[in-house]
Amino acid sequence: MCDLFAMSAAKRSEAARSLPVFGVRARKNMDGWGIGFFRNDRAHVEKSANRIYVPGHLHDSFQRLARVIRSPTIIAHVRLQTSGKKDECHAHPFVLSFLGTDWIFAHNGKSPAIESYRSRGERLEAGSDSARTFEYLRDYLLFYHRGDPMVYSFVDALKRSTSRLMKEYPGGYNYLLTNGSVLCAFTNHRHFMLLKDSRQLENALLLTTVAEGLSPEPWQVFKAEEGCGLLLLIVGGELLLKQVVTPLRG
Amino acid sequence: MCDLLAISAGFDYGPREYLPLFAERGKRNVSGWGIGFFREGRTLVENSAESVYHENQMHDSFQRLARVIDSRMILAHISCPLIGGQHDQAAHPFTLSFLGHSWLFVHVGIVRDIDRYRTRMEPRLDVNIPSARIFEFLRDRMVSMVSEDPYLGLLSALSMATRELVERYPGRYNYFLANESVLLAFFNFRQLMMLKEHDTLGNVLLLTTVEEGLSGEDWRYIGLEGDSAGKFVVIGGADFLYQQSL
Repeated sequence: MCDLFAMSAAKRSEAARSLPVFGVRARKNMDGWGIGFFRNDRAHVEKSANRIYVPGHLHDSFQRLARVIRSPTIIAHVRLQTSGKKDECHAHPFVLSFLGTDWIFAHNGKSPAIESYRSRGERLEAGSDSARTFEYLRDYLLFYHRGDPMVYSFVDALKRSTSRLMKEYPGGYNYLLTNGSVLCAFTNHRHFMLLKDSRQLENALLLTTVAEGLSPEPWQVFKAEEGCGLLLLIVGGELLLKQVVTPLRG
Repeated sequence: MCDLLAISAGFDYGPREYLPLFAERGKRNVSGWGIGFFREGRTLVENSAESVYHENQMHDSFQRLARVIDSRMILAHISCPLIGGQHDQAAHPFTLSFLGHSWLFVHVGIVRDIDRYRTRMEPRLDVNIPSARIFEFLRDRMVSMVSEDPYLGLLSALSMATRELVERYPGRYNYFLANESVLLAFFNFRQLMMLKEHDTLGNVLLLTTVEEGLSGEDWRYIGLEGDSAGKFVVIGGADFLYQQSL
């Protein structure tokens, strides 16, 4: 199963300590890696189809990027191929621009049903469930939030879109979505581990799917109840709110 | 009645256009003004007891500040002479540091008995007006709740703190609380007006208590539902993230 990492801080920060630990602890995933971040409000992604780890060595570029990337929000993904080809194009994160800003998206899970989804908007080149999931969320975020932002705030629109996704294309979804200011983390399978105010890693809010966390500190487990999803909204290094998401009825 | 303005963006925004428009709309509030913003995570506050407008001329410093401030989060307050009175004219916005952030706070409204509140935390705000006690109360309760549960969530903590505040000290509240990344607004009277504006560098979101908004653009009305005891509005970057009734 792929693994996810995110760091959110109040100002531009590095993840020079936590990213390499993440790379090592997620090394069972051998089909590529990627790091997404923001510079001057624009999304940037560096990714590769290579293994993140060969015995004794973390990928050279991953190590170097971990040292120099500086951004208020950084997300990373280590891939175990379950859908789509094994190449750089299918490695996460993905980027789309909508609602007047760039968005970075990374996903793990298994949701083959969504592969049949055909967006009428801009399409990602990758042919995987993750790419289709991102397009689906983009399409319905625009439909709800841009349609009537006073009825559907951004969080309400994302909840509604995800709720609809769970109903129309049932599956296991774990995703991270960020525009640099706001980080949304959703899970309806597995869990997220969160840590604030780390003394060993960065003084930011850290999130990962790696079960044991990234340090021997008291990581908090966030897991959805059976049949539901859990959406976390993180802004400026703070957990702002937690929302339960249920599949749309009717 | 005093008025409030918040400007939130995903980049350091220069409020050259909207701060003067806010001052213009607040001409009737003739007893002081204040502007708070962030630079490298620290709060900076500039305020004055002088009228923002005098004899059809905008206050010189207010004009100049509007030209030079740039920040992802800007709060402004224009004081009224009648309610909240002359005594608080040079006080807003207030600033306190807690929960790992510097915070700015502005408030309008009338609250009974809140001046009896005595915080046990430091620092205390060295001014004897209701808005200062409200800010201390919210700080105290949020710090207490988050120390018990660090993963409670900021909005839950603020929501519970505000519920306690309104129950213990009934009154009219309309406040903006912001750190460098997020704006949390609450009101249980009047309304808020919101505008998402496209700047050359990106989007900007404006929130104000001024009834008609600040311009002829498409300002959106945010009001209270029928039996609601109040409403929270959450803004991050230029995004209207969430609204929740108390």
